[in-house]
Amino acid sequence: MNTRLSSLDRRKFIRGVGGFALALPAFETFSGVAKAKATSAGKKRLACFYMPDGVPMPRKDDPAFQDWSWFPHGSGRDFKLTKCLGPLESLRDDLTIVGGLSNPAVRNIHGHSNADQFLTSANTGANGDYKNGVSIDQVFAEKSGEHTRFASLVLSTDGGTGSPRGAQTLSYNKNGRPIPAEHRPKRIFDTLFVKSNDDAARQLAMSESALDDLMEDARSLQRTLSKSDQERLDEYLQSVRDTELRVEKAKQWIDIPFPKVDADRLTLDVTPEDPLNYLRTMYELIYLAFKTDSTRSVTYQLGRENGVGASDYLARAIGFNLTHQLTHQTKQPDGWKNLGSYCRFLNEEFGRFASRLKATPEIDGTGNMLDNTLLYFGSASSAFHTSRNYPLILTGGKNMGFKHGQYLKYGQGNEDNQADAGVSTDKGWRTEAEHQELPIADLYVTMLQRLGVETETFAGSSKTLSEI
Amino acid sequence: MRATVAAILFILPSLCLNAQNGPAFEAAKAIGLERSSYRKPATAARISPDAKPEADLETFRTKIEPLLRESCYQCHGEEKQKGKFRVDTLDPNLLSGGDQSWWLEVIDVISNGEMPPVDDDVELADEGRAEIIDWLSNEIHVASQVRRSEGGHSSFRRMTRYEYNYALQDLLGLQFDFARDLPPETESEDGFQNSSEMLQMSASQFSQYREIARQALRKSTVRGEQPKPIHFEISMTEMTERATRNFESQKKKIEDKFKDDPEKLAKGLEKLSNSNSRNVSLNDVHLINSKAVAISPPRSGYGGKEIRWDPVEEKPQPPTETENQLIIPAGKEQIFDFGDFLPDSGTVLVRFRGSRGSVEEGSYPNLRIRFGFQPSNNSKTSFQVGGKTIAIKAAPNDPQFFEFQVPLGEVSRNPYRGNGVLGRRPNPSEYLIFENMTMAKASPSNQIKIDYVEVTAPYFSQWPPESHKRIFIESEKSDDEKATAREVLSAFMARAWRRPVLDSEIDRKVKLFVKLRPSCEDFEDAMIEVLAGVLSSPQFLYLAQSDETADKLTEHELATRLSMFLWCSVPDSELLDLTESGELSDPKVLSQQTERMLADPKAKRFSEQFTRQWLGMQLLDFLNVDKKFFNQFDADLRNSMKGEPIAFFHELLQENGSVLNFLHADYAMLNERMAVHYGIPDVHGNEFQRVVLKPESRRGGLLTQAGLLAMNSDGKDSHPLKRGIWLLENILHDPPPPPPPAVPEIDLTDPDILKLTLKDRMEDHRNDPACMSCHAKIDPWGIAFENFDAVGRWRDEIGKDAVDANSVLFNQQKLEGMEGLKLFLLENRQDQFARSMVHKLASYALGRPISFADRADLEQITADLRKHDDRLATLITLIVTSEIFVSK
Repeated sequence: MNTRLSSLDRRKFIRGVGGFALALPAFETFSGVAKAKATSAGKKRLACFYMPDGVPMPRKDDPAFQDWSWFPHGSGRDFKLTKCLGPLESLRDDLTIVGGLSNPAVRNIHGHSNADQFLTSANTGANGDYKNGVSIDQVFAEKSGEHTRFASLVLSTDGGTGSPRGAQTLSYNKNGRPIPAEHRPKRIFDTLFVKSNDDAARQLAMSESALDDLMEDARSLQRTLSKSDQERLDEYLQSVRDTELRVEKAKQWIDIPFPKVDADRLTLDVTPEDPLNYLRTMYELIYLAFKTDSTRSVTYQLGRENGVGASDYLARAIGFNLTHQLTHQTKQPDGWKNLGSYCRFLNEEFGRFASRLKATPEIDGTGNMLDNTLLYFGSASSAFHTSRNYPLILTGGKNMGFKHGQYLKYGQGNEDNQADAGVSTDKGWRTEAEHQELPIADLYVTMLQRLGVETETFAGSSKTLSEI
Repeated sequence: MRATVAAILFILPSLCLNAQNGPAFEAAKAIGLERSSYRKPATAARISPDAKPEADLETFRTKIEPLLRESCYQCHGEEKQKGKFRVDTLDPNLLSGGDQSWWLEVIDVISNGEMPPVDDDVELADEGRAEIIDWLSNEIHVASQVRRSEGGHSSFRRMTRYEYNYALQDLLGLQFDFARDLPPETESEDGFQNSSEMLQMSASQFSQYREIARQALRKSTVRGEQPKPIHFEISMTEMTERATRNFESQKKKIEDKFKDDPEKLAKGLEKLSNSNSRNVSLNDVHLINSKAVAISPPRSGYGGKEIRWDPVEEKPQPPTETENQLIIPAGKEQIFDFGDFLPDSGTVLVRFRGSRGSVEEGSYPNLRIRFGFQPSNNSKTSFQVGGKTIAIKAAPNDPQFFEFQVPLGEVSRNPYRGNGVLGRRPNPSEYLIFENMTMAKASPSNQIKIDYVEVTAPYFSQWPPESHKRIFIESEKSDDEKATAREVLSAFMARAWRRPVLDSEIDRKVKLFVKLRPSCEDFEDAMIEVLAGVLSSPQFLYLAQSDETADKLTEHELATRLSMFLWCSVPDSELLDLTESGELSDPKVLSQQTERMLADPKAKRFSEQFTRQWLGMQLLDFLNVDKKFFNQFDADLRNSMKGEPIAFFHELLQENGSVLNFLHADYAMLNERMAVHYGIPDVHGNEFQRVVLKPESRRGGLLTQAGLLAMNSDGKDSHPLKRGIWLLENILHDPPPPPPPAVPEIDLTDPDILKLTLKDRMEDHRNDPACMSCHAKIDPWGIAFENFDAVGRWRDEIGKDAVDANSVLFNQQKLEGMEGLKLFLLENRQDQFARSMVHKLASYALGRPISFADRADLEQITADLRKHDDRLATLITLIVTSEIFVSK
């Protein structure tokens, strides 16, 4: 269907998204304050990761239960990781495993439709009309983006936005619209470290002239108003001034040179056909983005739901053909072990990334990067496509007040994770839940507050989880 | 007259015991009118041009104070101060003193009999009561007129979100939802969004205005040649042939596969026959031919099966024969798949030729279309498009053409189009769903028969489109960019800023154009940037009032206020022409224009916006009904519930009926869905239509409308407190004080409490003296609604117990259910309701909070309203021609 491309409006590429905002698909820029020296005092970072389709949840009487359950055995500080999360043992004191949370609005909807709401906790429904809300990373990025060239980095293995109830991105803006994710390492590297948006300078100059003119309009209107009305119009004038400041700041970034990063060690032309190297390259790019303070907010959807797309090849790294199929074959010989091995593989790479952050000191010598970076890893699918009891891991961010070293189980009636265990049919997600779970938005309020966002609420929740 | 009234009063109680009775309500209206204080001759204006207005302290000293001492000081004086309120220390000089708001409270509670409380040992005789009210009304009247000259609240404000949207629609000529991304407005105390005190501006909102303006202008304008449209030609004959071919090819596959195994062959063919087209149910969508042979249409699917229609370049001709037809029974739908060929933007024109199944009396079909896509099995979405539903009444032997238009750039699109492979996941196809949304039981009379569908995209009724020509007007100087820019700007700015524009203002914009031109691709590009500035300017966004004229609005300001009031948008050219000649402020012209504007279709916006805000209907947007209690609450019912009060208001406005109909009317505006919900038979179609109500329906007026009852419930059960507060705030404009901070919760784990009915629980809960004082005034109103459940249906029992909807007001007046409530209001509170209507409409019309200074004018309007049979459209005219409307 190449007629589509030729009929695309070329101007769309030049102009980008939003007035003077620098815009390439994956990077939303608002503005940046040029800081002469990078300091890490009070610096906070967030990275969110998503794995699709579900995790192993065998029944207690299944021989695979001991080694291959996703959730640990035990609780509180006294917990034992199974082989799934085993690779994270060395980070035990830097992590918290959380169970018993989900989004009440979508608990009876198939997990494949629910990746969209993982970071938004909105009611995305099952069919018909579709509406989503803002994701937590964007709430955080609005603030943290003032200090960096890029407000956020939005990544996924499959790229783009996906479709309603089939997301290929984790991030949604204030109006609930998906932010397109980037999936090609070369493009990510180029945008972060090599090329600037040439059009930016032109757009910013135009904005300046336009704002000047509007200021004049406002002043001439003000002269005709009564005193009290003049005060009311001041809000408009202040808004114009604030926008002028943002343009000013954005212009400054154009003159600041990109950080120097050596591309030799990276294989930038790798694709998910070589899943191990692809995954490692993506993690490496995220690490570099944090290290150079190019951004402080990252999301990476490791795979989209339902095996539609290149992310389905990731299991080839450990010798399986298609990843999604593993969740359907748990009843076959070694079924739990196979799915569990895939989880283990993902956790190995994730652990490698987290350990790298832990081993890297902050620039000003105040501890290591992991202590200032909250890593959030999880899924909206747990036992065979049921969208309850999300498997979640919080890592790092000790300086933000996370206690870590614990396995916290919320809700009532499913402490042993047996509610949907052993299920391998649609009967799982179609049945009403008999146990209770807490709204995951409670966790998000907690996370946002620890990240320094001044808010009491998120997605309809105004509670926090103090144990975390 | 008195004798007749007395006779009616005598007969009344026996009539009332039955179901709601027309004559009872009519009689109550007559009684209430008799009691109106506006029937007395208007008090002579106490402000003569020469004399200086003065407070009447003489009457206070000699007549009023003794009455107050006798009836009020005991509880509101030196020894006791009930409700923390003292009457004895109020300053009787309303002109210069500071106690006006307290005196307003006093006149309210004395007028409606709330004070003195009936069960206490103080009394206030009727004559004394009348004297106090007389004196107070006069003083308030004079004082308010004095206050007017001191100035009050300003109505300088920005346009609300919905006004901005309509203004862009009217200016650009495109009916898109431009304001979709703007944040929602906050309501004022009165519930109105257009109150000057609440409308603020922030940097991010300002940026949004700029971006919206830019996008809107791009959508309105075009470049180059008219793009060649593609067409889809869907004839049911072709569809039948496809279905037949499908069947034949599947049959052949089975025959080939099992040609050596007759048993499996037979089984395979039987399975095919059962699952496929030959065994069609006539209750489902099916194709039928002139010999009445029916088959199933090809089933659509997202993966593997391609049933899409391919585009053609030549405009198709509708076939002359109608041998094969598609039948869509009531409640069913058919999908038409267009692959990923639909363009990114532009309008798609969907035409079809159809009729209903038969022309019997009774239910006829309604068609609406949805647009959707399903890239993979758990990722699908669809939503209504086309902006309307179509009632199909054409007879089967005389099918008609019907059409929808859908702006493709304004709806959610399949992100994989152009990037996927048709028939594989992710499926890049998009489709239209034709839905027969009739609620009634399926029958031939409400079937939809279609023989031909034609889709064209992008569709333009002219080129360049009208929206483009409005902006880039014909110019003789088309070679001179700067001069052309000046022409375009002069025309556009005058319309957008709704006043003549100074040369200096145009000059400045032309200068900006010259500055931006080198950075832009072409003339149009640069022009759009500058015009976006015109639409982001405060001259457009704000409804300004210049300080230059003393206290009257200028002609242009008046035109803007009038069009914001009646059309929620900018003035049209007829209004602007009148302002040029300075005629608009003439009351006769204002009346004429009001009449013209109310008859214009744009007045529907007024009905919608005012009704929604007046009745606090945003609660309906968020209503969640418990599925276990009522599982038929869907988007259609919610939309119908939202539409009913608005349609009722609009009907009353168009026929200029009495506002008392809001309290009770003998007709309702219903569509099929609402009629089904109410159990009223023989209403068909999705449009609201006038339905005469039988007394057994128990409906009539606002108080029995399901949406208003449902939004004042909790999703499972009625909520008398919410309903009581709603009645007091929205209908009677007598808001109760806010709850205190520490309200103890009802202990629902106490078995004794669980045994009580809701009404008893409320009584028990409010028996605490701290709570009693306020709740005695709120709860009884809400209890009267108890016969209506959480979705507004009538109920006689709650569980095993009979409903008890009887209550007693603070002054011992009994309210016996909804009927009793309505009779009480009609007999005793007509004045209060009339004042409330005036207050609400005036707040909305002026776009600012009402202050004490406005009171005299509002009283005058109320008096005039009552003298004109309380008519609604007349009230609008009274407001528009009043002093407050033409003043700042």
